[in-house]
Amino acid sequence: MMAKKPRLFIHALMWVIVALLLLPIVFTFFYSFFPKSEMDAYLSLRGRFSEAWLPLLVSPKVFSLRQYYTIFIEEPMYLRLFLNSVTYGVGILLGQMVFVPSMAYALSRFRFRGREALFFVVMALMLMPFQVIQAPTVITLRTLNLMNTTWAVLLPMWFTPFYIFLLRQFMVGIPAEMFEAGMMDGAGPVRAYFHVMMPVCRPVLGAALALSFADSWNMVEQPLVYLQNEMARPLSVMFNVLSESKKDIAFAGAALYIVPMLVMYFYFQEDILLGVQLSELK
Amino acid sequence: MFTRKRMLALFLLPGLAGLLVFYLIPFVYGFYFSVTDGTRLNEYVGFSNYLKVWQNPMFQQGLLTTMELSLLCAPIIFVLAFAIAGMLRSLGQGSTFYRNALLLPYLMPSSAMILIWLLIFDYSGVFNQILVEALGLGGERLIWTSGPLLRVPVILLYVWKNLGFSVVIFTSALQAVPQAYYEYASLEGASRVKQELRITLPLISPTAFLVFVLAWINAFKIFKEIYFIGGAYSDLYTLQHFMNNHFARINYQYVTTAAYSFAVIVLILFGALYWFEMRHRVE
Repeated sequence: MMAKKPRLFIHALMWVIVALLLLPIVFTFFYSFFPKSEMDAYLSLRGRFSEAWLPLLVSPKVFSLRQYYTIFIEEPMYLRLFLNSVTYGVGILLGQMVFVPSMAYALSRFRFRGREALFFVVMALMLMPFQVIQAPTVITLRTLNLMNTTWAVLLPMWFTPFYIFLLRQFMVGIPAEMFEAGMMDGAGPVRAYFHVMMPVCRPVLGAALALSFADSWNMVEQPLVYLQNEMARPLSVMFNVLSESKKDIAFAGAALYIVPMLVMYFYFQEDILLGVQLSELK
Repeated sequence: MFTRKRMLALFLLPGLAGLLVFYLIPFVYGFYFSVTDGTRLNEYVGFSNYLKVWQNPMFQQGLLTTMELSLLCAPIIFVLAFAIAGMLRSLGQGSTFYRNALLLPYLMPSSAMILIWLLIFDYSGVFNQILVEALGLGGERLIWTSGPLLRVPVILLYVWKNLGFSVVIFTSALQAVPQAYYEYASLEGASRVKQELRITLPLISPTAFLVFVLAWINAFKIFKEIYFIGGAYSDLYTLQHFMNNHFARINYQYVTTAAYSFAVIVLILFGALYWFEMRHRVE
């Protein structure tokens, strides 16, 4: 048994670690409520290489929603790019819902020749560095004439090997008895898929949904190469361009971009935990 | 288990078709690009593309940077995650909150975090202030946002984002280690650190291997953070920079050749690591 004292020490240490990790997020939100002029002046002090220290701002002259007002009402550019991000994120999810669970179902609940080999291929693709995967994908996109279209970003992501792997890992662990009752009643694989498999898989589907949305919300490499038109790119690519030219609202922009992920995080917290644990290769 | 062929086709073929079209067929077909010269005649040139790419200083630079970043990040994450998971285990049920909080940065988009990061690591920023004033080191301030030290904020941002993921994987593996082992070791007088290294680590070695490999492979992706700070020709030039600049020139010969070269290097390193883990596993 652990003595009481070291436990207290560990709690204290963990609190420090957690606080350090969360501070950048907290400050991003905090700064988003500063008046525009104050933030503009503050951010202009960056990169000056002067002797003065950049002070940590802790008390704004006044708490202001001006930054948010500008984003929502006065400056449509930000919202436009934000909507691009939403389109890509949702478009990717919709496609994945069709292709990923069904393939995982085939790999886990059907018996056929070459199943293990196919699963091995999925795992190998999953472990390949992105640089290796991207070059062949670009060849296909050019051949199909999809470059510079929305599809270039969506289509390859619909078949992301990691999520096929993740769902398959969960599905193989479901006991066969769950399906037997239905089979007695004459229900085939299709009914079993929709009425047994999907409800049972709810936690892992939640995990995949949250993790995949986080991926697309953070996506930079693909749109950067596939989309020449800057106005078609998601906010994740354009954010640094935007925040250089519009310093005064940069923090509200950042905070706003974080909000959907915070909602995802709190809603799917338990599922995400399960998803990460499932990514153990067994 | 279902076996009906038509049903199998219904579920398997759509996904399989996508994998074939976007991943597998071009992967094989891409090899053809890497051994032809890319002119209209498209003549077979053997491995001369490979020699050209390997001798390209930008490719060497990109490969070196990507390898360096990933081989720095993986051990840092490994050690920190192992230490934190060890601490969390001794807290038992009380650890749930910490574990969840550690996972939050994993979902945060880098693009939104880069702003605060640039403030922290500015020449006049908090990081320099702590180094120079609070720690009493005196001396000159350092430039973190360009030049060779750019790797420090980049690595720290990566660790910040990905630490929680590894902690969660370690934590679930640690729960499987029987408590009795530690009680016995304590009776024998083994120190806490020694227990972790001699008992825990060998027992969870497959998981440890996985954590290391995942942290390592994921760190190959470090690009966007550098791109946000330094643009397409940054002081830290990664393999992804090289690829992007050649995609822009539609230079398939270079891109595919670089991709396959990298795949071979990764496979060799991966194999070496696996061999090392197999030899140290406790059955």
